[in-house]
Amino acid sequence: MSDFAGMEDLMQDFLLESTELLSDVDNKLCELEKRPNDKALLNDIFRGFHTIKGGAGFLNVSAMVTICHRTENLFDKLRNGELPLSSELMDVILDATGVVRGMFTTLSQGLSPAVPDAGLLAALDSALAGNLAVPAAPVAAPAATPAAAANTPDWNVLHAAVTKATAAAASTPAPSAAVAAPVVEAVVETPAMPVVAAKPVPAKVAPQQGMASAPPENTIRIDTVRLDQVLNLSGEIGLTKNRLTTLRTEILQGNMETHTLRSLDEAISQLDLLVSDLQNAVMKTRMQPIGRLFQKYPRLARDLARQLGKEVELVITGEETELDKTMIEDLNDPLVHLVRNAVDHGVESSEERISVGKKPQSLVQLSAEQVGDHIVIEITDDGKGMNPEALRRKAIEKGLIDAETANGLDEKQCLQLIFLPGFSTKDQISNVSGRGVGMDVVRTNIQKLNGRIDINSEQGVGTRISISLPLTLAILPVLVVRACNQPFAVPLAMVREIIPIDVSAIQEVSGRPTIVVRDEILPLKTLANLLNWAPTQKPQFGVLMQSAEKSFILAVDSFVGRDDVVIKPLQNIRPKGVAGATLSGDGSVVLVLDMEDLLSGQADASGSGTMMLRNADNYSY
Amino acid sequence: MIDKNMRFLVVDDFSTMRRIVRNLLKELGITNVDEAEDGQVALHKLKTQHFDFIVSDWNMPNMTGIELLRAVRADPQLKTLPFLMITAEAKRENIIEAATAGASGYIVKPFTAATLEEKMGKIFQSLNK
Repeated sequence: MSDFAGMEDLMQDFLLESTELLSDVDNKLCELEKRPNDKALLNDIFRGFHTIKGGAGFLNVSAMVTICHRTENLFDKLRNGELPLSSELMDVILDATGVVRGMFTTLSQGLSPAVPDAGLLAALDSALAGNLAVPAAPVAAPAATPAAAANTPDWNVLHAAVTKATAAAASTPAPSAAVAAPVVEAVVETPAMPVVAAKPVPAKVAPQQGMASAPPENTIRIDTVRLDQVLNLSGEIGLTKNRLTTLRTEILQGNMETHTLRSLDEAISQLDLLVSDLQNAVMKTRMQPIGRLFQKYPRLARDLARQLGKEVELVITGEETELDKTMIEDLNDPLVHLVRNAVDHGVESSEERISVGKKPQSLVQLSAEQVGDHIVIEITDDGKGMNPEALRRKAIEKGLIDAETANGLDEKQCLQLIFLPGFSTKDQISNVSGRGVGMDVVRTNIQKLNGRIDINSEQGVGTRISISLPLTLAILPVLVVRACNQPFAVPLAMVREIIPIDVSAIQEVSGRPTIVVRDEILPLKTLANLLNWAPTQKPQFGVLMQSAEKSFILAVDSFVGRDDVVIKPLQNIRPKGVAGATLSGDGSVVLVLDMEDLLSGQADASGSGTMMLRNADNYSY
Repeated sequence: MIDKNMRFLVVDDFSTMRRIVRNLLKELGITNVDEAEDGQVALHKLKTQHFDFIVSDWNMPNMTGIELLRAVRADPQLKTLPFLMITAEAKRENIIEAATAGASGYIVKPFTAATLEEKMGKIFQSLNK
């Protein structure tokens, strides 16, 4: 079958489709643990393995066929009630899906996967024979053996019957016999296999590895309706362009009549509308439901919870929420970390929960929702919550902040301490989480996506982590402000409101200028100073900005308005605090500011910053 | 021989598999092919459009291949349509089930274009008899 034209293409398709299918199977497996007798679920899982096996057969991936075939047979028995589902059996099955996933990764690298681990095959075989579940063995084994016995002898009789029934069914091809062989083999041989064979399998909890490093997708599946929309719009833009060309000729020939100019106005408005529609349509082709990411997590949570001896249910909502494809890929690592954190640190063990009067089973919720032009992803647990005092102490102990700064933090700010590099609340480092490399990386990754991460936690009730992301990275809504006679763009996502600056409202708090806005004391930072430029006038307006953990007022000379821009990264040079440049409507270059970068520099050199503030006293605050 | 202009309906829930079958049919020179992702969709297409040959997978959600086969055979308009059942099952009870339901042929995954041609050839032979 190797003489397929376009085999690589086919492999890509197969991988894309079956990876999705396998994730679905994984989730169904997690559900199956809750409802072990659900026929529909068993059927679906059976079909999943069956389908993957079918595809793998055509692509000559015999290792995958072997393993899927056995798992499929196992589910055939399960759905026919020939085998009871035990947790040992679940472990073997989940291990098998892990191995299949690993094979997908190998295949995506263009390699042929190795023959699966003999231990796993043996475990599957003995499970097939009903020997795996220790208590069930006496019941299941006899049930399996007669079936096998009944299977073997009258094949020829039956085959002959088929041959007579239809001419076409006569030549059941040779492969069929080959495929059938392992079943018989498996069932007949295994009663001799001791239960020990199953042992090595549950010990491994490695399948997550395959999950984390999922094959990078370089193809994308797009709804044809969306593609048609793009085509349609580009066609319409073409028509409007023709109209404009005609109008240009007319105007160049001196035809300046009112109706010509009105037509020009109309054509331009139409173009305006069409281009923004086209931008949206093109953006939509890159949008993928976040469910493709979410579907990997129930399995992750389940494995981890089992390993830690906790009872955790992961509830997912909003899978259909759509997000830019590249963002979905970059979100995986942070989300994996947050889900693991919730299961590991967030929720308590069943005993602990019972002792404080909670349900033994804890609930972790993962949700996605589009709010305005943002996507909000939330991970909520009903665990013990975070103790701000403990976090504060820890941060001082670890020398991450000094005691004075620590005491100045309110409860909400204490929670933010977990984002500091090197912070870890668990004294014992488990192999799951607790190395303190996590949360700061999570935040950095989210910020790279122009997103924001927030923590809310109530002791004894639980923790909620919210991630807010723009819909796409391609188009950035900005607020254009002016300072030092030059326009600058700041991400609109960070802007809460704009206030006029009243000089009398400025108060000095420990030597720094602040303004109280609705009982909130906010530091005032002048954009010119942040940029290390000499201010040219007294700032007139304050832009109330909110970044991950701090709010402040950015003092600017004036502002131009909001705009949607496409950021062009600067080649070779990277001035501090500048994310890139864009063109404004009048054709001038506008620098797009990276506020985090700008502020981080300020915090590092806080001494010189204050100096500058004093030096420039007559102009700034 | 097989008429290259015949209109085929390939039914499978796994799009990769539909593509594989399509490719195989193309190797045999058959390009007039439509697809359906399950029995229900297939049945709807069969009732609204003209087809000369059905190649269907067995295991599908919503409506399985065998259910589709029974529905096709029960429909006075469609009952004579050649129906080739594809499946990974080489189990005898399945073959018998398919045969009694009226499958014209039965092919086990994975298969080559040659096997497919042979199966189809046999089906047409018995049709022309």
